[in-house]
Amino acid sequence: MFRSVLRGAIGAGVMMAAMASASAQVLEIGLDNGPTGLDPHLITAFPSFMVVNGNIYEGLTAVDKDLKIIPGLAESWNVSTDGKTYTFKLRSGVKFHDGTDMTAEDVVSTIRRVQSKDIASPLASRLSAIDSAKAVDPQTVELTLKEPSAPLLSSLATIAIVPSEVETNKDILQKTPVGTGPFKFQEWQPNGFILLAKNDAYWQKGAPKLSGLKFNIVPESATRQVGLVNGQYALLPNIDAATALQLKGKPSVKLGETLDLAYMLIGMNVSKAPFDNPKVREAVNYAINRQEIVDAALFGAGVPGGPLSPALKSWALDVKEFPCYKPDPAKAQALLKEAGVAMPVTVTMNVLPRQDVKDIAQVVQEQLNKAGFKVELKNQEQGQFIQDWRNSNFDLFASINAGSPDPDEYFYRTFRTGGSTNVFKYSNPEIDQLLDKARTLSDQAARKTAYDQVQKTLACTGPVAHLTYGTLFSAMRDKLQGYDVMPNRSLSTLKNASY
Amino acid sequence: MSRILLSRLIDLVVVLFGVSIIVFLMIRLIPGDAVAIMLGANTEITPERMAELNSRVGLDKPIVQQYLVWAGAALRGDFGTSLWTGRPVATEIITNLWPTLELTFLSLLIGAVLAVPVGCWMAQTRGSGMDVAMRIGAIAGLTIPSFWLGIVLILLFSAFVPGFSSLGYVPFSEDPFGNLQRMLLPSIALALPILANLSRLVRSAMLDALGQDYVRTARAKGLSERTVVYKHALRNALIPFLTSVGIMTGYLLGGAIVVEQVFAIPGLGRLILGAIAERNYPLIQATILVVTAGFVLVNFVVDFLYIVVDPRVRA
Amino acid sequence: MSRLAKNKLLAFAIVLVALQVILALGAPWFAPYDPMAQSIARRLKGPTVLNWLGTDQLGRDVLTRILYGYRTSLIACVLAVGVALLAGGTLGLMAAYYRGWLDRIIMRVMDVLFAFPVMLLAIGIIAVLGPHTYSAAAAIAVVYTPIFARLLRGPALVLCESEYVAGAKAIGASDKRIIFLHILPNLASVILVQTSLLLSAAILVEASLSFLGLGTQPPTPSLGLMLSEGRNFLQLSPWSAIFAGFAILFLSFGFNLLGDALRDTLDPRLRGQS
Repeated sequence: MFRSVLRGAIGAGVMMAAMASASAQVLEIGLDNGPTGLDPHLITAFPSFMVVNGNIYEGLTAVDKDLKIIPGLAESWNVSTDGKTYTFKLRSGVKFHDGTDMTAEDVVSTIRRVQSKDIASPLASRLSAIDSAKAVDPQTVELTLKEPSAPLLSSLATIAIVPSEVETNKDILQKTPVGTGPFKFQEWQPNGFILLAKNDAYWQKGAPKLSGLKFNIVPESATRQVGLVNGQYALLPNIDAATALQLKGKPSVKLGETLDLAYMLIGMNVSKAPFDNPKVREAVNYAINRQEIVDAALFGAGVPGGPLSPALKSWALDVKEFPCYKPDPAKAQALLKEAGVAMPVTVTMNVLPRQDVKDIAQVVQEQLNKAGFKVELKNQEQGQFIQDWRNSNFDLFASINAGSPDPDEYFYRTFRTGGSTNVFKYSNPEIDQLLDKARTLSDQAARKTAYDQVQKTLACTGPVAHLTYGTLFSAMRDKLQGYDVMPNRSLSTLKNASY
Repeated sequence: MSRILLSRLIDLVVVLFGVSIIVFLMIRLIPGDAVAIMLGANTEITPERMAELNSRVGLDKPIVQQYLVWAGAALRGDFGTSLWTGRPVATEIITNLWPTLELTFLSLLIGAVLAVPVGCWMAQTRGSGMDVAMRIGAIAGLTIPSFWLGIVLILLFSAFVPGFSSLGYVPFSEDPFGNLQRMLLPSIALALPILANLSRLVRSAMLDALGQDYVRTARAKGLSERTVVYKHALRNALIPFLTSVGIMTGYLLGGAIVVEQVFAIPGLGRLILGAIAERNYPLIQATILVVTAGFVLVNFVVDFLYIVVDPRVRA
Repeated sequence: MSRLAKNKLLAFAIVLVALQVILALGAPWFAPYDPMAQSIARRLKGPTVLNWLGTDQLGRDVLTRILYGYRTSLIACVLAVGVALLAGGTLGLMAAYYRGWLDRIIMRVMDVLFAFPVMLLAIGIIAVLGPHTYSAAAAIAVVYTPIFARLLRGPALVLCESEYVAGAKAIGASDKRIIFLHILPNLASVILVQTSLLLSAAILVEASLSFLGLGTQPPTPSLGLMLSEGRNFLQLSPWSAIFAGFAILFLSFGFNLLGDALRDTLDPRLRGQS
C-alpha cells in the first residue's frame, strides 16, 4: 500500500516537473545566501549585488563580460579636453518600474544621494572626484570634477540610477526597489526567495526574454546541486570549484566559467606588533605557497595572484615579478630573525565563515607554522568578524574580497593612508603619492607605470598577502542560453538569456 | 479540577515572563551589534548616522527601559518590525510558521501512525531473538542524526528517483501535491526517532495489557481476546504517549532547525538562525519567545489532558 | 526478557561504550596519522590500504580524525553532562531537602530554563559565547541542568519524608551527612541511567551544533564538523561524511543502549519510560 502510494507520488512528481519546465519562463536560480537588503547604494554583500545589479538597476555606463566599459543608461558621452567635464546623453524612452520617465534630474539626485553623508553609502568614495552634477536638459547630464579622474566611467557602472523622490529616503529601496532594469521587484520572502518579474516597458527591444527571475535561497551546497541536477533549479550562479567539479558531466548540466575578480587574502594589522614590521609581512609572503593553496582549496581551478586580478589584463603584473611569491620557508625564518621577533611568532587569525575561506585558512595555518609562526585560527560568526574587521581588532584575518574593474577603486580606499577600508592602518607616503597621482592621469601608459610600482611595493610588504584568484563557475541547465559568467559576479547578462 | 487548572495557568504566566526576560538579556549579551552588521563592509559611515541607527534599534536607552518598552508592546501583540525587511515581525513569523508546523505535524503523524503496527509486532516477537534485535533497532532509530539521514535521503532519491522535487517549500493551498512531495523526505528524517520512541511505548503497553486481570476476565468471558487486548493496550499506551508528546515537540522543534537547513525549507529554524546571524533583535526576540511559548503551551495542554485521562492524578 | 538476555545486553552495551571511550582517549596512540597533516595529492579518496576510511577534502586521514573527533565529542559531552549533573543535582536536592521558598525559587528558575526547546536555548547561548567546542559544552550543560534538577527532586522528596531520613534527623545527623549518606546512594540508579541517556542525547546535540557551524571549529577534528565539511563534497567522495555519520550514530547509540540496559537491570519499574 505504502509503496504504491509512493510510486504514484513519484510518478506524478516527474510528470509535474516535466510540465513545469515546458511552460515556465521564470528562471529558477539557487543562491547560497539571502540578500540583507536591496538598496543599491547601501548593500555590500554578494547576494544583494547579484539580485539587483543589472537586473533591477542600471548605471549610466555598464561593463561587458570582459570588463570593458559599454553604454548603459547613457547612450554616449563626451569628456572635455582638461578631463574635468563629462557630458552624458541619456537614452530616450527609459522608464522606472513605477511608470515614470527616467530623466537627467533622476541622475543628478542619484549622485547627490550617493554622496550624501546622511545616506552614508559605501559607494561614496567612488564618486569623490565629482564636484557637481547638473541637468542640462531632460536628456543631458553634465558632471564637473574637482580634478581629472581616470576610473570615473568604470565607477559609474556601479552607481544605480534611482528615482529622484527617494533621494533622502534610507529605508524604502531596501525593501521595495524601483529601478530601470529588465526585471522588476515582485516579492521577497526572507529565507525563502526573491521574485522578480519581467519589465514589459524595458528600453532594449526584445529583452528580457525570460518572464522573471526567482532567486531561491538554499544554504546547503549538496541541496543546491541536487536541485540543479533534477531540474528544480536552472542556474547556480558564481559557485566555487568544489561544487562545479561535482556538477561536471551530470546529464543536462553545463558549466560556464571565467576568472574571478574577487580574491582570497590574508590581512595583517600593521598598527601593532608583529606585523608593524615590514620584514615580518615579507616573511608571511615567503612562507605562503600559493600554488598549493590553489590545488588544495580551489581544486586547481585558479591562479596565484598579486594585488590585481589577472582578469584585469591591462593592469595586472605577472606574479613572477614578485620575488616573495617563490615559496621559501627558510627565507621566511631568516627574515623573522632579522626582524628580531621571538620565534615562533604567535598570532591569531580571524576567519570569515565560508567553507572556501575556512579551507584556505587551514592550509595557510599549516604553511605559516612550518616557517616560524604559530597561528591559531579564530573561526568567527559573520557579525563578529565584520565588527573586528571594522575596528581593526585582529592580528591576521583570512577573507575573500570583491575586486573592482579599475585599480584605483580598490587601491585607493584600501591602501591610501586613511582610506575608507584601510582597516590595516597601513600608511606609506610613497604609495600615497603614487595613488594620488595615478587617479588624475588620463594617459593609460603613465597610469600603468604608477600602478606597476604600487603592485611591486604592496605585493611583498603591503598589509595584504594576496593569495589566489579562483576560476568563477556557474552551473546551469543545458537549455539556458545567452547567459555569460561575469568576473565581477554580476548577473546582468540574464537580460539576454532564454530558457 | 478548575483550581488545578488555575494554578497551572499562573505557573504558565510566570514561566513565560521568565522566558521573556532570559530571551531579552541573552540577546543583549550577543557580541557584535545590529548596526555594525547592518553596515556590513560600509566604512563611509558618519558618527551621526551611526547614532541615528543605534537609536532606531533602541540600543541607546537603559536596558530596563528597553525591556519595558518591548514587553509592553509585545503584550499588545506588537513585536516591532524586522530591522532588514522593515515588515512587521508578526508577519515574518507567520510566514515562516506554517512550514515548520506542517513539518512537525507530519513527522508526528507518520511516527504515531506507524508506531501502532510496529509496536504490536514488537510485542508479539517478545522472547524470541527478534526481541533484542527490535530493541536495538529502536535505539538506533532514536540516535540516528536526523540531518545526516536527511542528506542520505536526498542523495538516494536523486540517484534512484530523478525528477522528484524534494527541496524547498510550496504552500499546501497553492499546490497540495507539490507541498506533500517536498515535505515527504524531511518528515521521514524527523519521524524516525518518533517512531522508535512511540513503538516502544506501544510495545510495553501491549505487554502490560496482556498480563492484566481484565484480559484474563475477558478471555474467561469468551470475548475476542484480540479486541480486548488492542482496546486496553492502546488506551494504556495513551498516557505515556501524551507525556512524551511534550518532549517530542521539543525534539521536533530542535530537529526542524537543522532539517530545514538541509532541505531549504523557509521555516522558523531558518528564520532564527538568519536573525541571529544578522542581529535582527526584534525578530530574534519575538521568534524565540513565540516558539518557546508554543512549546510551553503544548506541555500545558498535555498536562491538562493527562489529568483528564488519568483520574488518579487529580487526587 | 530473560535475566540472561538482559545481562548479555548490558554487557554488550558496556563493551560498546568502553571500546569507543578507549579509542577516544587513546587517539594519540591508536591513530595512524597526525590529525592535522594535510596531503593534497591524496585527498577525497575512498578507503585504501593507507587510509582505511579514506581522506577528507584536505587529504587528512578520516580514521585519525574520527578517533580524535570521538575525543572532542566525548570530552565536551562528558564535561557538559557532568556539570549539568552537579549543578542540577545540587539544586534538585537542595530544593527537596529545604523545601519552602528556596524550593519554589529554584524550581521556578528550572521551569523557565526547561521551557525552552533544547536546540533553541543552545543556539542562543552559543550566540552569546561565540562558536567553540566549549561554548557548545556550556550550552548543553545549561540546557540539561533543569532536567537533572527536576529528575532528582521528586525521588529526593519522597526520601526526605521517609521515616528513615526522619530517624537520621532525630538522632542529630547533619544535613550534609543525611544528603550524602542517606539520600544520594538511594538515587544512584536513577542518576546512572539518566546520565547515560543524556550523554547519548548530548552527543547528538553537539553534532547538530557543529553541523550548523556553531560548535567545534576547524582545524580541530569533530564528528559533527566532519559531516558538515564532508557534505560539501558528497559527489566527489561521500566517505568522510558517511563515516562521520556512522561514528556519531555508534557513539550516541552506545550510551543510549547502556542507559536502557542499566534501567532494565537496576530498576525494572522504570521500564518503558523514556
